[in-house]
Amino acid sequence: MQKKYNWLYLLFLMGLTIVYAQDKTISGTVTDQNGVPLPGVNILVQNTTTGTQSDFDGNYNIQASEGQVLIFSYLGQRTVERTVEASNTVDVRMQEDTSQLEEVIVVGYGSQSKRKVTDNIATISSDQINEIPTPSLQSALTGKAAGVRITQINGKVEGGIKVRVRGVATISSSQEPLYVVDGVPVTNDDESINNSPINPLVSINPNDIESIQILKDASSAAIYGARGTNGVVLITTKKGKQGKTQVSLNSSYGWSTATNKVDFLNAAQYRELFLESGLNNGFTEQEILDQFNFYMNGQTNVDTDWQDLALINGSIEDFGVSISGGDEKTRFFVSTGYNKNKGIIRGNILERYSIRGNMDHDISEKFIIGLNTAISKSKINRISNDNAFATPLQAIAQVPLSPAYLEDGITPNNESTEYYNFLTEQFNGNFETNLWRIIANTYLTYQIIPELNFRTEVGYDFSDQVAERFSGSLTESASVGGFGTANAVETEKYILTNYFTYNKVFNEKFDFEATAGMSFEESRRRLQFVQAQGFPSDDLQTLNSASEIVAGGSSRTAFNFLSYFGRANLSINNRYLFKGSIRYDGSSRFGADNRFGIFPAASVGWIISEEDFLADSETLSLLKLRGSWGITGNAGIGDFASLSLFQGSPYAQRAALAPTQLGNPDVKWERTTQIDGGLDFGFLSNRISGEIDYYLKTTEDLLLNEPIPGTSGFVNITRNVGELENKGFEFVLNTKNILTENLQWNTSVNLSTLDNEVKSLPGGDIIEGHNIVRAGQTLSSFYLVEFAGADPANGDALFVLNTQNADGTLNKGTTNDFNAAQRIIAGSPYPDFIAGLTNTLNFKGLDFSFTFQGEWGASIYNDGGRFQSGNARFFDNQTVDQLNRWQQPGDITNVPQARLFSTNGQQASTRYLDGSDFIRLRNLTLGYTLPHEVTQKFQIDRLRIYFSGFNLLTITDYKGFDPESTADFNASLSNIQVGEDFYSAPPARTFTLGLNVDF
Amino acid sequence: MKNLKYILTILVLFFMMYSCEDNLELQPEQSLSPEVATSNAANLQNLLIGLYDEAAHGSAETPTFEENIYGGVLNLAIELLGDSGELSWNGTFEQPAQLIEKQLVPDNTFVRDYWLNAYEVNNQANIILDNLDVVEDEATRNRIEGEAKFLRALMYFDLARIFGAPYLAGQQNTQPAVPIVLAPVVDASQVEFPGRNTGEEVYAQAISDLTDAYSLLPDSNDIFADKYTAQAILARVYLQQGNYAAARDAVNDVIQNSGHSLTVDFASAFNNAGDSTEDIMAWQITAQDGQNDMNTFWAGNAFGGRSGNPDVSVNPLHFDIYDDPNDQRSQFFYETSGGTSTTKWQGEFANIPFIRLAEMYLIRAESNFREGTTAGSTPEDDINALRARSGAVAISGISLQNILDERRRELSFEGFTLHDIKRLQGSVGPLNYDDNKLVMPVPQREMDANPSLTQNPGY
Repeated sequence: MQKKYNWLYLLFLMGLTIVYAQDKTISGTVTDQNGVPLPGVNILVQNTTTGTQSDFDGNYNIQASEGQVLIFSYLGQRTVERTVEASNTVDVRMQEDTSQLEEVIVVGYGSQSKRKVTDNIATISSDQINEIPTPSLQSALTGKAAGVRITQINGKVEGGIKVRVRGVATISSSQEPLYVVDGVPVTNDDESINNSPINPLVSINPNDIESIQILKDASSAAIYGARGTNGVVLITTKKGKQGKTQVSLNSSYGWSTATNKVDFLNAAQYRELFLESGLNNGFTEQEILDQFNFYMNGQTNVDTDWQDLALINGSIEDFGVSISGGDEKTRFFVSTGYNKNKGIIRGNILERYSIRGNMDHDISEKFIIGLNTAISKSKINRISNDNAFATPLQAIAQVPLSPAYLEDGITPNNESTEYYNFLTEQFNGNFETNLWRIIANTYLTYQIIPELNFRTEVGYDFSDQVAERFSGSLTESASVGGFGTANAVETEKYILTNYFTYNKVFNEKFDFEATAGMSFEESRRRLQFVQAQGFPSDDLQTLNSASEIVAGGSSRTAFNFLSYFGRANLSINNRYLFKGSIRYDGSSRFGADNRFGIFPAASVGWIISEEDFLADSETLSLLKLRGSWGITGNAGIGDFASLSLFQGSPYAQRAALAPTQLGNPDVKWERTTQIDGGLDFGFLSNRISGEIDYYLKTTEDLLLNEPIPGTSGFVNITRNVGELENKGFEFVLNTKNILTENLQWNTSVNLSTLDNEVKSLPGGDIIEGHNIVRAGQTLSSFYLVEFAGADPANGDALFVLNTQNADGTLNKGTTNDFNAAQRIIAGSPYPDFIAGLTNTLNFKGLDFSFTFQGEWGASIYNDGGRFQSGNARFFDNQTVDQLNRWQQPGDITNVPQARLFSTNGQQASTRYLDGSDFIRLRNLTLGYTLPHEVTQKFQIDRLRIYFSGFNLLTITDYKGFDPESTADFNASLSNIQVGEDFYSAPPARTFTLGLNVDF
Repeated sequence: MKNLKYILTILVLFFMMYSCEDNLELQPEQSLSPEVATSNAANLQNLLIGLYDEAAHGSAETPTFEENIYGGVLNLAIELLGDSGELSWNGTFEQPAQLIEKQLVPDNTFVRDYWLNAYEVNNQANIILDNLDVVEDEATRNRIEGEAKFLRALMYFDLARIFGAPYLAGQQNTQPAVPIVLAPVVDASQVEFPGRNTGEEVYAQAISDLTDAYSLLPDSNDIFADKYTAQAILARVYLQQGNYAAARDAVNDVIQNSGHSLTVDFASAFNNAGDSTEDIMAWQITAQDGQNDMNTFWAGNAFGGRSGNPDVSVNPLHFDIYDDPNDQRSQFFYETSGGTSTTKWQGEFANIPFIRLAEMYLIRAESNFREGTTAGSTPEDDINALRARSGAVAISGISLQNILDERRRELSFEGFTLHDIKRLQGSVGPLNYDDNKLVMPVPQREMDANPSLTQNPGY
């Protein structure tokens, strides 16, 4: 958060003359208006660089001479100046400054007083995300903002994250918000080579972040026009402050385990179930026992717990140093960080190295320049996507009778396993991805006249990702003598932004502010890859050693945006607020006729508590009504969606061409209209404050990969059809329950309803896998045959017919013929209610905070269920609930008779659909700051030790691994196929111990 | 004035902006527009080769084994759906498991992709046929037209056989097969919602295209289709229709005029990097290009097969068909941990023989026998030519059953089983040849996308 205070402070410093005199030590105590000592007050000798801060008890010492002026400043307090006289003691009682208390928040292309904001913007400050032991920035935000749903796809450390701001407002375009780091809209494309997404923002060090603003409503996001529909996340990094140079060290170390494991059959249970299953389907006992002996491979008493081999204990280490400070002209913040996260899935490790330098310099009163630069490198030891035998969690399919290793105890057993043994991947292969990222931004501001400022920025975002994978002679690539891949992708983007800001108060009543400008942005992506096979040795893993190059290629693509934007704010009498904005965006991604789009927005606010009839109210400190309307767009489609394309597709080493895309020149921007009505309130000097909002978000001209008859030679086409609606209530309540000198207790609750409905779909239903898009229903609803358990008479799987009766009702009779049963809408992959609860307690040196987060109303379909819980249809190990199978006439159970190699209820049905409501203790931190008197002796300003935990507790009835984990290989392929689990690993539960030192 | 330099900087930056608008016009660097792709003879030739790629290696968008019907997955289906216990499915894919169990559901993605891939080939062939006028050289134009028609016919013949009820000889075959689409689609406005044509119509379309192809194509054409390739497929079509005289004449032409000859021994006909003397046509696979999915599903792990090691193993029951222990074909197997593998698909990067001369001998023998003729050769000589090549003793006093048995010995695991059962009106386990379960369902995604389609009975 940028505080106005900095600027006031600077103004004080300018134009004052320097007085020299003899130094002496001045000491004293700084207190607030109630006489409570104030620690951390900045004390500066005017016109010098001499400065200090008050200690924990409000005491300070400073060198100054008579006649010099001491400046005492502290956030939220009026700045005090005292001239040094004969006395060596200067005690100061500061007064609260209500005007300064006004929080300033970052908005698109500028900042604004929170009090006067008429939009819905969620603000998350650095202390809310610090020390949460997760490598991804987005995960740390979970549960902290109303209406924002953040889901880690699964337990992989580099794994993709889904952030959904106010529901899902698009079907075929990107659903991710736009991320803007210090003014640069950053690249957020997954460049993974194996369909298991890599979160591109893992390269950002969360410890460098000062604040995060999430622009949720259209009025705030419309200034980002064509990319505002999914919300905008503004990330502001830390800046230096004038005063004493401060060094902060942070170090933590921790351990992690899977949030949950699922019970699978042990060897004895496996033998029992599969012998029965074999006998039920015409196999002889000897045939089954032979198979068991094959698995055991000559070893005895084998009872392998494959799940324990896949989900291991992880660890996490984090180390960071930052140094910040500045003088009257120049302020700086530099930091470096190292983070290592050894995942809970075997073989999955993420290491990040980062450095940052932020600098601001006042050239003169009129010119300020600055530079924000961050460089990072992330090294990831990767594993396969969820849909591969090589991925660790698919080991749960292995038979407990198969030894994990051969007799030597080292070499993974592939001689007698049902499937390829994932342990071979690490034993005889390597898969590493390195990710380099530079995000930089320079700016210059020029004060043309005091009311009119000009700002120009040049931003640059560079991302380079090199993936190298080697599979040796014992892996699945054995037949070709080892297989290697090297893949490099470079994406670079530059952005030029220029805008004017005008700010003037007319007649003391009309506070007018306007912004107008333009930006141009160009992004280019280059890719090169090569694959080769036949390696002379498993120790030679680069492609130079391969005997045959089998594939290779390179490609280039680009897109750009040209945008003009303007915004005006007017506040009358500090109580009537008006805002209007417009953006005009053009992009190369759209057809020539539809290249430009206009995205207007407007909002109004009324601060009722400023009205005379309420101004004197003791209880009511803030009451503000807000209303906004705006249009945003979505450009998250392929770079050339409007064109029909033909590509090279060689055959037998001869050049060839084939059509790859059916274009639609009419493709245009997807338009989302959002209205928002809200009420902000504060009672008892804001001891109780909050926000209530209702929004209605309607997306028209949906960009849809509409399925077309395959007889056309194509599968789908991008069209603007249909309408989608998201609406919901958001409720935020912040209370300061206890506010005394020694004990502070704050609570923050957010509750949101999410209601998604497809309003119209001219082309009719779209069905992908087990999800359907149908008018009148939630997007991507599950569309499945209804399972009806086992027939008590014969153990056949039964399904509900759900055929239409003559009167329009559904026939609820059952059948054992799967093809006779009709599919129904059986659930939603999206929750309709999400909530977060954060408590913060400070007691003397102790600090304690925790966040609970919950989601209700979603379901997950386990696509691996047919193998994992399929009444012993395949030799795959089964979940223990399958022991409850039908065995004899009269048995009432949901598990049909076990029939080896014969389908009996394993088809896609509601049998494998399960509600995924949960409440989770997302994070918890307990810290202790040593008394200042103790640490002072070691020249340390602050020393804090802390315990922090992540995903410590999950309360759910969901039967699978984790109510948030879904299959990663669909994530990058389809927006419609969501909410499916397929051997998807649970996230980590992490415990860390850490240390903060400031000196 | 000191500030001047900053103001100048600002002006320069602003000036840069004004040149930006032109930059919004970007062209893809990996792709061509339809206008360019069909603008000249060279590109049309590229599209033609792309047609083989589409059929054998799958869609350029998503090159997975599910989408290349002639790369192996269609043969797999014909063997599994026609199997009565000679094979076991050990693999993890549920879609082939449904095939061997005869428990297909309309959202089986293998079945979906047979349909989609075939129509991708069809559309690309239609695009070529619609733009032939850019080829000025007549011989080249004829060849391109012939090849495109050949491949289009191949698609319709296979689509009719798997999505339509069996073709019944000597009757009007009014059972719905698949839509015939002959107009190219290169932009959104050309997408249509066709209904299903009858089996009779689809077979007629295939025969018409093949007949054209035969007259247009040259005598030989490298690894691509020549006139005898078209003739060989015509023979297959006639055989499926029970039109034995026409089948006989077609194969006789191929055997006598195509210049192909049987390989010296049985093993030489398989696992070749290039075409063997016996290959009238083979789908080309190299380590760089394409994927041999016959190998994927039928070979052991050590040879590149999937985890079932092999996914499809051969049961002892199969070996009852061999009548001579010295027959090389009865020994063309190897053992792996998942069971017995056929050696036919052992080579991971080998070509996939598609039409072997041996099949022509078998068709001639059967047709001559049924027609009571000896065109080209006697049935006995044709059969014994194959037996001699494989080291099996000659048989004399040949019967129809001998010929059909020989056909199985020779052509096992090559994608003939189900089609032969249907034309010979046999049975698959307890299912009669015309059972609904032996016809694939119209893919669910296709039913969902095209209201003009009707589903097959039983689904």
